[in-house]
Amino acid sequence: MSDNYDVIQVTNVTKSYSLGSGEVEVLHGIDLTVRNGEFVSIMGPSGSGKTTLMNLIGMLDSPTRGSVRINGANISGLSQKELVKLRRKEVGFIFQQFHLIPSLTAYENVALPLVFAGEKNDGAVESAMERVGLSYRMDHKPSELSGGEQQRVAIARAVVMRPKILLADEPTGALDAATGARIISLLKSLAGEMTVIMVTHNRELAGHSDRIIELQDGDVREQGEQQIRINESKMGVIV
Amino acid sequence: MHLHSFVLKDVFRRKTKLVVAVLGVAVAAAAIVAVVTTFSAATEGFHEASNKFGANIIVRPEVESIPLVDGYTSMGSLYAGNNYIEESDIPKIYNIKDNASLSIVAPRLYGVAELDGSSIVVMGVDPEQEKQLKPWWNIRGQWLSSEDTGPVEVLVGSDIAGPLGLGKGSMIALSKDDQSLEAKIAGVIESTGGNEDAYIIMPLAASQYLLSQEGKVSSLEVRALCNACPVEDMSQQIEGAFPGLEARAMSQIVQNEMMVVDHTKSSAMAVSIITLLVSTLTVASTMLASVNEKIKEIGIMRAIGASDMQIVSMLFLEGGIIGLVGGSIGFLVGTLASYAAAPMLVSVTPDPMWDVLIPVVAICMLTGMIASLAPARRALGIDPAEVLRSV
Repeated sequence: MSDNYDVIQVTNVTKSYSLGSGEVEVLHGIDLTVRNGEFVSIMGPSGSGKTTLMNLIGMLDSPTRGSVRINGANISGLSQKELVKLRRKEVGFIFQQFHLIPSLTAYENVALPLVFAGEKNDGAVESAMERVGLSYRMDHKPSELSGGEQQRVAIARAVVMRPKILLADEPTGALDAATGARIISLLKSLAGEMTVIMVTHNRELAGHSDRIIELQDGDVREQGEQQIRINESKMGVIV
Repeated sequence: MHLHSFVLKDVFRRKTKLVVAVLGVAVAAAAIVAVVTTFSAATEGFHEASNKFGANIIVRPEVESIPLVDGYTSMGSLYAGNNYIEESDIPKIYNIKDNASLSIVAPRLYGVAELDGSSIVVMGVDPEQEKQLKPWWNIRGQWLSSEDTGPVEVLVGSDIAGPLGLGKGSMIALSKDDQSLEAKIAGVIESTGGNEDAYIIMPLAASQYLLSQEGKVSSLEVRALCNACPVEDMSQQIEGAFPGLEARAMSQIVQNEMMVVDHTKSSAMAVSIITLLVSTLTVASTMLASVNEKIKEIGIMRAIGASDMQIVSMLFLEGGIIGLVGGSIGFLVGTLASYAAAPMLVSVTPDPMWDVLIPVVAICMLTGMIASLAPARRALGIDPAEVLRSV
């Protein structure tokens, strides 16, 4: 397979949730394709369906109608077991609040996906920690790390299985501007090796991605090549 | 890193909850161990004490009774068969399978002799065996001497001693047909309410001489240690070793013993079940609270690759660890509690029952795992997508 292919294909996807006696439709038949190695930002106001779209792409949820194809596999046709396997292999998650396990060291947190996948650590953890520039903090627990360091550990955890897709939900939301810039720079460096999809409210940060997808009321309002580019020199120190 | 080391770290992170859950299990385990240890010691003590109650198997010649009837009038019965056991056959009893459970084998020879013109029952015994068999006899004077020197010593029942004015050191003359015997009274048996109140008891050899039954005994009274094997089995084994004899288990004593043992077991079992249920609920509620606290964490773990089976395994492992720690602590506490309380409650000092350590810990681990079922169900109900929408 060539490197330049659609790793994510979202076709006419509708997603509804039950709310009391009625139903709320969060996504209204959206179409979206993401090329392998792209860095895409998803923007939109609260309640526009950003996280729902992320969850569909992350195979944590399934569409009410339409299809979501990850690396060619239609997730609606897969069993729960197959979805878990595919998610381990293809998707890494980064969250706004990092969500590291407090009792584990940075090293152990990064190793967790390998443990769940039943895979041996053949240097993948060390390599991921090195990639985020935290080789010297492996034995530290999350409480001993700064917010930026915790997010970098979370990124190492997300990439340790070398997934095809990295989903980052407001990855800089809990960080100050300078630290956030370092995280964006790190994500940008990962793009190419893997597809990075970032949900953000910050248009300036989104400007670092290849493409911005704007969601409004469950519809894709804008999907086009990035027009606004921020000079990277303004982002401060790059990790 | 393995899943179990992750669970271990996670369990010990929430120390307060861990302590509460472990205490729940430990209390249950301690109660079980204390009850089992105390009642086992009490049962053992009961068996030891009951071994002093006398014989629980009577061995005697098998005789057939033939009713004598003239027309419609009964004229009594005619007994057919050998009325004695050969003394030389007695050692055969030790050939039975459960011979280790034979505590006392006391031969008896009964007969009627004359004392001052009155007929009295004479009972020949093995002084040593009989003394063990009848520890409750109070003797005014002393027990029969086993030595052959000097005049024959006898014990007399209180019903004979009183009317005839006999006491320790009195000499009596016994006769039977052509045989006669001078005997010295070693002691008087204080009234027991039993047949011995009207007996003259003497060494077996003397009674055999007086009654002209050398080498014969009328019956054997056997004390078997019933806690080691069922007494009915031993009776059958004895009958197998002695053709022509019948060995009758004194079932009332045995049944009473078994009833006490069964009551003790039932009480212990009831307490165990109640404490286990309480413990299971404690662990379940603690773990449920823990899962509720970790909803986000579990959602995240599922997002980063944990399968349903792994989530359930982690909770089962947590329950098992709580059971292991709680069970071990409970065993120690229960043993100490039993050691402290049993002397006051049942007048025995128990030994630690190391053989129940593994079963108790295993039961506690199983309890912990059963208690994990509800939390596991809750954890599997956590929708990672829903969790991620809220983080």
